[in-house]
Amino acid sequence: MRRLLNIFRRKVAAPQPVSDDGQMFKERYSYFKKLLSENNAVLEIMADMEEKLSGEYIFDMNYVRTSCNKLVDSVQNIIVNLDKLSKGKYPVLYFAFARINSKIEATLINKIEIPVTDFAIPFESVTKEMVNSVGGKNANLGEIKNRVGLPVPDGFCISAYAFKKFIEYNKLKNKIILNSTDMGDIEGLNKISKEAHNLIMESQIPPDIETGILNAFSELFRKASSKVSEPTASVRSSAIYEDAEFTFAGQYKTALNVTSDKLIEQYKKVIASLFTSRAMFYYKTKGFEEDDMVMAVGVVEMIDARASGIMYSRDPNNAENDSIIINAVWGLGKYAVDGTVSPNIYVVSRDKPGTILEKTTPAQEVMLKCDSRDGAVEVEVPEEKRATSCLTDDQIKFLADYALVLEKHYDRPQDIEWALDENNNFFILQTRPLNILKEQPAKNIQTITKGHKILINKGQVACKGVGAGKVFFVNREEDLEKFPEGAVLVAKHTSTGFVTVMNKTSAIIADVGSPTGHMATLAREYKIPTLLNTVIAMKTLEADKEITVDAINGNIYEGRIDELVEAGKMDNPFKDTAVFRVLRELLNNIAPLNLIHPESEKFSQEYCETFHDITRFAHEVSMKEMFKIVDSPDISKREAVKLEVKIPLEIYIIDLGGGIKSDSKKITPEHILSIPMNALLKGMMAIEWPGPPPINVKGFMSVIASTAMQPHSEKLLWEPSFAIISGEYMNFNIRLGYHIQTIEAYAGDNINDNYARFLFRGGGASVDRRTRRTRLIKQILEMMDFNVKRTGDVLDASITKYDKSTVLKKLGILAHMTAYTKQLDMTLFNDAMVDWYFKEFIKKHYVK
Amino acid sequence: MAYPSQNFCKKGLMMTIIKKLLIPLTDYPHMPYWATLEEAIVLLNFAHESGYHTVLVFDEFYKLLGMLDGREILRVINPKFKKLSPDKVSSKWNDIINSANDNQFKKPIKDFISPFNMMVESTDHILKVAYLLLQHNLDIIPVKEAGKVLGVVRMHDIFHKITGSILQSEK
Repeated sequence: MRRLLNIFRRKVAAPQPVSDDGQMFKERYSYFKKLLSENNAVLEIMADMEEKLSGEYIFDMNYVRTSCNKLVDSVQNIIVNLDKLSKGKYPVLYFAFARINSKIEATLINKIEIPVTDFAIPFESVTKEMVNSVGGKNANLGEIKNRVGLPVPDGFCISAYAFKKFIEYNKLKNKIILNSTDMGDIEGLNKISKEAHNLIMESQIPPDIETGILNAFSELFRKASSKVSEPTASVRSSAIYEDAEFTFAGQYKTALNVTSDKLIEQYKKVIASLFTSRAMFYYKTKGFEEDDMVMAVGVVEMIDARASGIMYSRDPNNAENDSIIINAVWGLGKYAVDGTVSPNIYVVSRDKPGTILEKTTPAQEVMLKCDSRDGAVEVEVPEEKRATSCLTDDQIKFLADYALVLEKHYDRPQDIEWALDENNNFFILQTRPLNILKEQPAKNIQTITKGHKILINKGQVACKGVGAGKVFFVNREEDLEKFPEGAVLVAKHTSTGFVTVMNKTSAIIADVGSPTGHMATLAREYKIPTLLNTVIAMKTLEADKEITVDAINGNIYEGRIDELVEAGKMDNPFKDTAVFRVLRELLNNIAPLNLIHPESEKFSQEYCETFHDITRFAHEVSMKEMFKIVDSPDISKREAVKLEVKIPLEIYIIDLGGGIKSDSKKITPEHILSIPMNALLKGMMAIEWPGPPPINVKGFMSVIASTAMQPHSEKLLWEPSFAIISGEYMNFNIRLGYHIQTIEAYAGDNINDNYARFLFRGGGASVDRRTRRTRLIKQILEMMDFNVKRTGDVLDASITKYDKSTVLKKLGILAHMTAYTKQLDMTLFNDAMVDWYFKEFIKKHYVK
Repeated sequence: MAYPSQNFCKKGLMMTIIKKLLIPLTDYPHMPYWATLEEAIVLLNFAHESGYHTVLVFDEFYKLLGMLDGREILRVINPKFKKLSPDKVSSKWNDIINSANDNQFKKPIKDFISPFNMMVESTDHILKVAYLLLQHNLDIIPVKEAGKVLGVVRMHDIFHKITGSILQSEK
């Protein structure tokens, strides 16, 4: 506990020694003010964090971390200031804070542990549990090879540990700064991306890593040397989180047909692709942090594919549609995933294994093949192959079986990349979880569209939904920098680079592309209504013209059709991201409010379970602490200034700062600067006070013998009233007749700070009449929307969070009520009198 | 001071002190002197149902200043009552109502109260109090104890007590 307290104590400056009463009040008020200010900060941060959960905003872990840090600081400050204000009455809050904070820290600290491994690890020793060593893609390939038994090309992994050593060796961690990057600033992203890329390309691979990689490469092809003259490989990204819950589809580089002399350079290029602007955007918007950006690499024997493609073990747009979808292109698979050509599409039944339900075989004019030296080259598809199916029916059925095997093994639908070599051997190049759209948009939307002009009625749905906006053509990557908020992206080809505007775009249209391509995968992750293969969109649509994209029925309409957009509304895509989950989990320890009713037994420091509870509790008790300061035995006229005012009260004022104009020992209402005090005085001066003016002690002593019904209450008659005020604050303890009444108020520009509190107790009449008076006051206060607690003749009422002018208006009415009810207890013979006085008060003094 | 016949003492009133017939102040209508005539009228109307027809008037220290009853208030409402003979009183209700001046209603009751010229102690004998009431033609008399007003005793409560005792003793 002592250690905990010391940590907290360091957070605020030690209070100045108390020189006198006024100084003591000022200090306590300053703690109270700080507490109020921190209270507001906490409420604002919490509101902002909760608003982010609405899904209408993009944010990253940097935002979450920064918000949490601010919150932790503010809650600490609240506790410390309450501690000072209350003189240590609430020590349990420190423990509550420590408990909650440790949970928050545990949620925030979720760093990847990179195991120490060899720099190169052959696929033969890799399984899916080794994600942190070899990355997601490699782990899956090892799993398929070693546990599922499906054919995978030979290869090895360049480990995450190698990446870590590379970063350390070149001291890159301090050079690549991403945290402050604004995801909306594409130009800025590009700049940082370029700098990071250059840094990596200029860096040196540590010699031991280089040796390890080259040895592994030689070993790989020693086994395969009989097969090929010059061994080549594809060098593929395998980031830690890749191909797991988040696909990172197409975000990173793959180098094809790489020879040993170019292996190291290509390895660096793949690592550098961690920092492409689109990859950074993806990372950030999915809630990852810099430390999560770890890249292992796969070096895989190059298959110069005869045909290749993508296969989904289910239809991602229609989970209930029980089919396997395969796309295929001639040559290397890159053209199947990047939308360069329109692939063959085969739909195979899962219900009746081997039944091909649908076959689409558009003509393919070009394909990608391994170059004779290295790299890949685009070549024409031989004439006789162009319009023919890439796969035979038997091959289609064979491949579909692989999809079922992989889905069964992973126990969830799979997105699989495959290749067929020239010897008709299939290879699995990649498998990852397939995103299935959970909630389908409303289907009955055809009726809405009657009477609207259809501009295009062809295309394949890549992501279901409806979006509307102005047409914006994207011809080159640079066009994305100017992409306007809410526009519809229209392009000739799909590109994974589109991801950088997926927070802005209403819909995506591409004339060429496949629903099984990388961009389609990303569109589904971000839930952007997407139509592909529209063929004529670039020609038909006009820039800046508003259109509605119905990516449910495959139509594009002229103009905006709001009903259609509404009917096709999608769930927010960011709600499924890791950063959302982190924020939601954090808010569980921050936002719920368990301490609701201050009168409840559980409204105590022991029951604070969240930061909101601590804040609420501290705010409530701090007001009570401030409320009590005028009851302090230390209060005296010595530190106060007398207020000369034409009401029957003897008032002394203690200024906490900014409450009065003058230093004189006597002031008038014109000298009062305190906003709430002014409002109250104005009300008090506007009403005719019943009864005599305050009497002096001498006068009192002369009549004391004949006095009131309540013993010991007489002394109240001659006690002066004290007001402690500042510019926005007032705590006015009014000694009036035989009762004590305190009115406290804060009236500033921040609505969260504002409150008014009214405490009333005592009276000179018999207990039943005093009780009747509190009943009358309660009725009046409730009419003014105060929350009132009454116990016998004690009454405690408050309002909080009203705007300044409303608080001041209510203070004016409180002033009238104060005068109106002065010694009224004497008259309240029965309840009927209470009712009569209540009606009279409303008639004469209450203005809504 | 002459006292009534001691015979009554033998008929059940021997130990009766006035405190036993007291209406405590807590139950009796009373007001501060700055209350308005209007408030007093309202109070008397509500108190009428409880059988009280007088308001006691105090100062801020609960010092008794006097009393106000319906008779006095009617005089305030229509000062002509004082001067007119029965056959000259207006028979028109509105004349009375209209003559009630608003300004009069807003006046503090201190302007209209009748002072009490005497009070009795709580330990005084009932017969002594009866005697004083008759002597001074009063309907009520305040009762005090240790300098504080405890309540009042009404003439008709004393009447019932005394005559009740007489009737009982004759059985």
